[in-house]
Amino acid sequence: MRSRLATTMEVDGLSAFSLREFGCEQNLLSRPDGSSSFVQGDTSVLAGVYGPAEVKISKEIYDRATMEVVIQPKVGLPGVKERAREQCVRETCEAALLSTLHPRSSLSLVLQVVHDDGSLLSCCLNAACMALMDAGLPMGCLFCGVTCAIDPEGHIVTDPTAQQEKDSRAVMTFAIDSAQHRVMMSSTKGSFSVNELQQCIAVSQRASEKIFQFYRESVRRRYSKTV
Amino acid sequence: MAAGFKTAEPLEYHRSFLKENCRPDGRELGEFRTTTLNIGSISTADGSALVKIGNTTVICGIKGELTSPPADAPNSGYIVPNVDLPPLCSSKFRPGPPGEQAQAASQFMADVIESSEVLLKEDLCIEKAKLCWVLYCDIMCLDYDGNLLDACVIALVAALKNAQLPEVSINKDTDLAEVNTDKKRHLNVAKHPVSSSFAVFDDSIVIVDPTAEEETLSTAMMTVVTDENETLCMLHKPGGTSLSSEKLQDCISRAVTRNREVGKLINTVTQSVETDK
Amino acid sequence: MSDCLKEKVGEVLLPGDIFSFENTSEKVICGPGLRRNGDEVLVCKSGILRHKHPNMYWVDSQQKRYVPVKGESVIGIVTAKSGDVFKVDVGGSELASLSYLAFEGATKRNRPNVQVGDLVYGQFLIANKDMEPELVCIDSCGRANGMGVFGAGGLLIKVSLGLVRRLLAQQSALVKELEQVFPFEMVVGLNGRVWVKAQSMQRVQVLASLLESCENMTPQQRHALFRRAANGAS
Repeated sequence: MRSRLATTMEVDGLSAFSLREFGCEQNLLSRPDGSSSFVQGDTSVLAGVYGPAEVKISKEIYDRATMEVVIQPKVGLPGVKERAREQCVRETCEAALLSTLHPRSSLSLVLQVVHDDGSLLSCCLNAACMALMDAGLPMGCLFCGVTCAIDPEGHIVTDPTAQQEKDSRAVMTFAIDSAQHRVMMSSTKGSFSVNELQQCIAVSQRASEKIFQFYRESVRRRYSKTV
Repeated sequence: MAAGFKTAEPLEYHRSFLKENCRPDGRELGEFRTTTLNIGSISTADGSALVKIGNTTVICGIKGELTSPPADAPNSGYIVPNVDLPPLCSSKFRPGPPGEQAQAASQFMADVIESSEVLLKEDLCIEKAKLCWVLYCDIMCLDYDGNLLDACVIALVAALKNAQLPEVSINKDTDLAEVNTDKKRHLNVAKHPVSSSFAVFDDSIVIVDPTAEEETLSTAMMTVVTDENETLCMLHKPGGTSLSSEKLQDCISRAVTRNREVGKLINTVTQSVETDK
Repeated sequence: MSDCLKEKVGEVLLPGDIFSFENTSEKVICGPGLRRNGDEVLVCKSGILRHKHPNMYWVDSQQKRYVPVKGESVIGIVTAKSGDVFKVDVGGSELASLSYLAFEGATKRNRPNVQVGDLVYGQFLIANKDMEPELVCIDSCGRANGMGVFGAGGLLIKVSLGLVRRLLAQQSALVKELEQVFPFEMVVGLNGRVWVKAQSMQRVQVLASLLESCENMTPQQRHALFRRAANGAS
C-alpha cells in the first residue's frame, strides 16, 4: 500500500522541475474513517478524517456539511500560523468536496505534522486529499499542493527543502485542481513580479499532472488486492 | 417585493444584478466603494489611522515600546500586528478569544509586512543586541461590511506613515536608555503595499471589494497585494473554486491601478495633515 | 458512452474522472460513486468500477463510515427510548428512529420488549440526506422476516463496509471457507457491523479476529490462516 515517486523533468527546456521522492500510504490508522500519510522528501504529514458524523447544533449548516480542519504542529500548541494554514486547507477541501450531499453533518480533518523539511503546506494538502479519498467522501475533483521557491538568481525550485525556502527570495504554494488544472488556493511569501508568478503557476500545473498520476498509482496499489 | 426576494433567494437576487454587469448597491463589477482616510485620530498612540471603505470601518493604532532585540537577529526590531474583530462590528463574531478569521487576518498582516518590506526591521534597532523598538500595530474593526483585509492594509500603511518615534540613545556611563521626547522623527516607510480583494461568483464572475453579504454568497475570495513598483507581495487565495490564469491576470492589473488610487489618497491625506501643523 | 465505461470495468477510478456521453441514447444506471452531471458521468469516489448486465455501473470503494440507504439492512444499537420511538445508533451521522409499532405483531397494547442497549436487525424505510433515517423491523407484509431484536450470547464487531459486502455476496468464497473452520452463527449488517456466535466464547473470539484480519489478504494468505485456525480449534 506504500507507493513512491521521484521525478526530475525538463519541460520546454525553459524551466526544469524536480520533485523530491514522494511516498503515500492510505488507510493506515484503524480509528478514523479515512487516513493517509504523505511524505515529500523529509517532510511528512499524517492525516485522519472523521465523517460524515454528528454535528454540534451551533455549527450545523442546513444545506451542506460542516468542515473542520485542525493542524497539529510537531512540537507545541497550534498557533496563528497553523490557523492560517487550516483556513487554506479547509476552504480548498470545501471546494473539492460535494458537501451538499451530506447536509447537517460534520467532516473533521486532523493533520499531524510528523516532520517539516519545507513545502509543508503542499504536503498538508496532498495528505488531506488522500485522506478524504480514503474516507470515500464524495468529491467533484481532486486537488494537490505544489510549492515553488524563487532563488535570488531568479530560478524556480519546485518542492523546496526548508534550507532552499530560507535561501529563496519568494515562496509560493498553490493548490491545483484535477479537472482543469487551475489555481484553487494560493499562498505566497516574499515579493515577485507578475511574470514570475505566471511562470510558477505554469510549472506547478505541470508538476500537478505528475502528482495526480502518483495519486492514481497509490490508489491502484491500495485496491490491487481486491481486483 | 424586492426585499422579500432578497431575503428568500439572496443568491438569485445577486445573480440577477451580476447578469446586468452591476451590483445591488449600484456599483460596477470592478468598482471599489468610496474609501476615506483619517490619520492621527488617536492622540495617545504614536501613530494612527482610521479607514472607511463603504461601511467597513477599521482603526489602527501604533504604539512603540523599547525592548532587547531577538537573539537570532541582533540588529533588528519587531513589528507585531494584531487584528481584532470584536462582537461590536458584526453579529458574526462572538466575544471571547479571537476566532479563525481574526487569527487568519493577523497572520495575513504579518505576512504583508514581511513580504512587502514596508518597514525594514533593521531601522527599528537602536543599539545592536541591546536595544530596539517593538511596534505594536493594533488594528480593530469597528464596522464589518466585507473586505476587511484591504481596509487593514491601508490603515496599517497610513498609521506607519503617521507614526513618530522619539529619539533614543544609550548613555555610555550608566548604560541606560535616554528618551528625548522633544525630538521625534517619522519612520522610514520604504514601500507602500496596497491590497485589493476580489470575490468569485459562480466560478466565473469576479467582483472587487465585496460587501459582507457578497462575501458569504461568493464561492471564492482572493486578495492581491502589490507595491508601487508593480511588484506582487502577496497572492492570497485561501481555497474556494479555481480561477484561470487569465482571470488572475485581470485581477492583478486591477490591483495595480488600485494601488495608484490608494497611494494618491494616502499621500494627499498625509500632506494635508502636515500643512495643517 | 457505455463502451468507454465498459472498457474501464475492473479498473481503479479516482474522483474527478469524467466520462462523456457521445451521440448515444443508451441508458446507463449510475450506482454508488457515480453521478450524472448533464451529458457526463462524474466519478466521485475512488475505487474499482463494477458493471452488471446490461447497463448498471458503480464504484466499489473501501469505506468505513456508513451512510444510510433506503432498503438496506443494518444492525443497530438501541440508545434511547423517547415516547413512541426508539433511537437507534446505526453508525451514520444521525441516530435513526424506530417506531415501537414497527415490529411483528406489535400493537398499541402489545408493546415489543426492547431495552436500551439491545441489538436490532432492521431495514431502512426512510433514508435520505435531508431527513432523519427511519428503521423498521418488519417487511411490507408485516412479517419479521428475520428482523427484530437479537444478540444474546454473541459478539458484535466492526469491519469495513467492503468486507461486509463480500460476506453478503452470493457464493461468497470467504463465508464458505469460514464455515469450514467450525460452525457458527452470523448476522451481517450493511453498516459494517457483524455479529457472530459460536459454541464457545473462545471460538467467537477466533472468528472475530479472523474476520478483522482477512480484509487485506490474498486468497492464498487467507487459506493458510484459516487452516491454522481450524487446526488450532479442533
